[in-house]
Amino acid sequence: MNRRIATALTGGTALLTALTACGESGSSSAGGGESTPAGGGDTIAAELVLGGPPEFQTRPDGVPGLEEVYGVTFGEFRSLDAGGPLTINALANGQIDAADVFTTDPNIAANDWVVLEDPENLFAAQNVVPLISTEEATDGVAAVLNAVSAELTTEDLIALNEQVIIDRQDPAAVAGQWLAEKGLDATGTQAAGTDLTIGSANFPENITLANIYAQALQAQGATVETQLNIGSREVYMPGLQDGSIDLIPEYTGVLLEYFDEEATAVSSEEVYAALPEALPENLTVLEQSEAQDKDAIVVTRETAEEYGLTSIADLAEQP
Amino acid sequence: MNDVLLWLNDPQNWTGTRVTPGIVAQATAHLAYTAVALSIAGVIAFPLGLVLGHTGRASWLVSVANGLRALPTVGLLILLYVMVSPLISGRGDAVYLVPTEIALVLLALPAILANTYAGVRNVSPDARDAARGMGMTGRQVLFRVELPNALPLVFSGLRSAALQVIATATIAAYVGLGGLGRYVYDGLASRDFGQMAGGAVLVAALALLVDLALSLLQRATVSRGVSGRFSRRSTRDSRSAAVTVVRPEPPRGGPDGGRSPRQATTPAAALTPSGDHPSG
Amino acid sequence: MNSENGSAPWDVFGYFADHRAEVLDLLWAHTWLSVLPVVIGLLVAFPIGWLARRYRWAYAPVVSVSGLLYTIPSLALFVVMPTLLGTQILDPVNVVAALTIYTIALLVRVVADGLAAVPEDAVQAATAMGFTRLQRLRTVELPLAVPVIAAGLRVAMVANVSLVAIAATIGIPQLGQLFITGFQLSVTGPYYPPIVLGIVLSVALALLLDRSIVLGARLITPWQRATAAR
Repeated sequence: MNRRIATALTGGTALLTALTACGESGSSSAGGGESTPAGGGDTIAAELVLGGPPEFQTRPDGVPGLEEVYGVTFGEFRSLDAGGPLTINALANGQIDAADVFTTDPNIAANDWVVLEDPENLFAAQNVVPLISTEEATDGVAAVLNAVSAELTTEDLIALNEQVIIDRQDPAAVAGQWLAEKGLDATGTQAAGTDLTIGSANFPENITLANIYAQALQAQGATVETQLNIGSREVYMPGLQDGSIDLIPEYTGVLLEYFDEEATAVSSEEVYAALPEALPENLTVLEQSEAQDKDAIVVTRETAEEYGLTSIADLAEQP
Repeated sequence: MNDVLLWLNDPQNWTGTRVTPGIVAQATAHLAYTAVALSIAGVIAFPLGLVLGHTGRASWLVSVANGLRALPTVGLLILLYVMVSPLISGRGDAVYLVPTEIALVLLALPAILANTYAGVRNVSPDARDAARGMGMTGRQVLFRVELPNALPLVFSGLRSAALQVIATATIAAYVGLGGLGRYVYDGLASRDFGQMAGGAVLVAALALLVDLALSLLQRATVSRGVSGRFSRRSTRDSRSAAVTVVRPEPPRGGPDGGRSPRQATTPAAALTPSGDHPSG
Repeated sequence: MNSENGSAPWDVFGYFADHRAEVLDLLWAHTWLSVLPVVIGLLVAFPIGWLARRYRWAYAPVVSVSGLLYTIPSLALFVVMPTLLGTQILDPVNVVAALTIYTIALLVRVVADGLAAVPEDAVQAATAMGFTRLQRLRTVELPLAVPVIAAGLRVAMVANVSLVAIAATIGIPQLGQLFITGFQLSVTGPYYPPIVLGIVLSVALALLLDRSIVLGARLITPWQRATAAR
C-alpha cells in the first residue's frame, strides 16, 4: 500500500519536474529563436527585443512593415499592450530594447528616450478626429466637435497626457480645464435635443479626449452618456457599428488602415481625403484636428548611443 | 468554426516563426506554469491538510484558505505585477512569471487543502479505532489508514485545482506572459477569430489531457479497497479486501465506479463542495 | 471632487471618497452581473439535474459535458457570445449568458448529487404515505437536498464574483474596471488605490453573497440548524 503511494508520488513529481524543465525553455525563448537566430542575424535589430501591442505582429505597419520597408527584423517580438504600463515598464526595466510607443506619451520625455525617425513614412499620419455614427452627425453636433478639433494641438495632447498619466489627475477634470482654457466651456444650445453615447479606447489619452467631447457637447445642451475604457479598436468598432456607442475619438491613419488594409496614404491630407471612401456608410468623420499621436519606434538613450541609432533604418545595419 | 479549423490546421502555427513561438512551445509553457503552480500549492497544502485533518486542530486555517477563493484573480494578478515590475529588470520572463505563479498558487491552494483535510476527517472513526487497537502509532495511523482512505478526495482536489489553474493561466497573457492565452488575447487584438477560438479550444484540450493523466495516476495510486474497483483476481487479495471496511463513501456511478465522487456530502466536506471554478 | 489623488499610494479611502458615485455604480453592476447567472443557472440546472438523477444512464454524459464546459476560458466565452446570441458586443447580456453556462455546468451535477444524497428510507416513507412523484419531490427530496445544493450555489456565486472582473478587459463596466484604471496609472510606479479598492470590494461582495446563501439555506431548512451552521 505504502510503497504504491510512494512510487506513484515519486513518478508524479518526476513528471512535473520534467514538464517544468522543458516548459521553462519553451517560455523563456518566447521569441521562438535562440539568442542568435539564423538568417539576417548580423543586423543591430537581430540583437534587440521589440515590444508592442499584440496586433503589431500582423499589422501592415507593424512587424511585417518594418521588415518590408526597412529590412528590419528584430530578434524577438513580445506581445504587450498599446503604449500602456506593460510596454513602458518593459522598456524602462530592460525586458525589451525597443518599443512601439505613441509620440504623445509623456514617458518618452520623462525617461529621456529616443524616438527613431521614420524617413520612409512607415507610420501614416494620425490626426485626432471624431468618428461618429452618420445618423447622429447633426449640424449642431458637428459644429461643437469641429470647434474642439480646431483648438486641439499635439502639444496639448502631450500636456493632457502628462496631467493624467504622470500626475494621475482625473481625466474628466483635466478635460474640463482644457475646455475652459480654450474658451469652449460656454453653455449654449447648439447640440440641444441630441442624445449620444460616447465611447473610448482603453488608454488614457483616448479617455481624456472622450471626456472633452462629452463635456463640450453637454455644455451645448446634448444628453450624453459615456462608456469609457472599452478596449482595443477591434472591440469598440463593432460597438460603434451596431449602435452601442455613437461617437469615439479616433486617429486618421489607423482608422483608414482598419477599413482599408491596402491603403497607401501617409500624409495628413491624403489620409483624411481617403477616409470617407473607406468608411462604411453608417460612420462619418468630422473635421480632423492638427493634433497627431503617431506610432513610433522608441529606444532608451543608452541603446541609441550604444548602437548609434537615430532612425529606424539604422537598425538594419551591422552592429 | 471553419476559421478555427483552418487556424489549427496551419502547420506554421504549430512550429512558430522566428519571431513568434508556435503552439507546441506555448502549450509547453502553459503546462509548465501549471505544473509549477500545482507543485508549490501541493507542497504547502498537502502536508498541512494531512496534519490538520489528523490532529483536528486549527481547522480555521481551512476556512481562511477557502476565503482565498473569493479573491478576484485578475485583480490579484494586476496588483502583483504592479508591485513586482519596478523590482525586476533585465530580459526574460521573470517579471511576468512571478506575479502569475503567485496568483495561480493562491488559486490552487484552497481546493487541495480543503479536500485533503476533508479526506482525512472523513475516515470512519471505526477504522481509526481499529488501527489504534492494533497498536499503530499516530504516525502509522496517518500514513497507513487515513492517507490511503483520503486519497480519492485528495485527488479530486488536485484535479479541480489543475482545471482551475489551466483555465486561469490564460489571463497570464494579459500581463505579457506566454502560454496558450497568448492566442486568445492576440486573436482578440488582431480580429483573428480563428486564432482566438483556436486558443480557447487548445486550453480546453490541455485541461482534459491533464485531467485524464491525473485520473490515471489516481487509478494507480488509490487502493482498490478504497475505490471499490475490483477485478475478480483482486478480491482474493486479502489485504485490499480488509481495507474495504474503511471506505469513506460507497462508490457511485457505473459498475467500475472509476471516478470517485468529487462532491463530498458529509458535513465536514460540505464547506468544500467540488471546487471546480473556471477562470481566465 | 479632489482631482489630485496621486499623493498617497495606499490611500484607498481617499480614492473611494473622490470617486464614490462611479465606484458605487461599478459595485452595483458587479453585483447583478454575478447574481443573475446564479439565479437563472439554478432554474435551468434543476430540471436537468433531476433528470440526470431520475435516469441513471444520463448521469455520466451530463457530468462529462458539464466538466468540459468548465475548461473553456471565460474570456473566450465572453467574446464568442455575441456571435452565438446575436447580441451587441458591449451588451452585458454576453457576460450573464457566459456565466450562466458555467453556473449550469456546476449546478447540474450538484443537483443530481444532492438528490442522490436524500436517504432512501425517507423517499420510501413518502411513497408509502401515498405521495405523488411531484409531491414527493417538492416536500421531501427537494428540502432534504437543500444543504448540498446550497453548498454548490456558494461555489458558483463566489466563482462568478471573481470571473465577472475578467469582463472588464473587454469593456463591460464593473469592479474589474478599477483594476484596469490602476494598471494604466502604474507606469511611473505602482498606483495601488483603485486596484486595492477593487479587490476589497470584490472580496466583500463575494463573502456577503456567500453568507446570504448560507442564511437563506438555514432559514428554509430549520431541522438542519444543528449541523449546517458554518
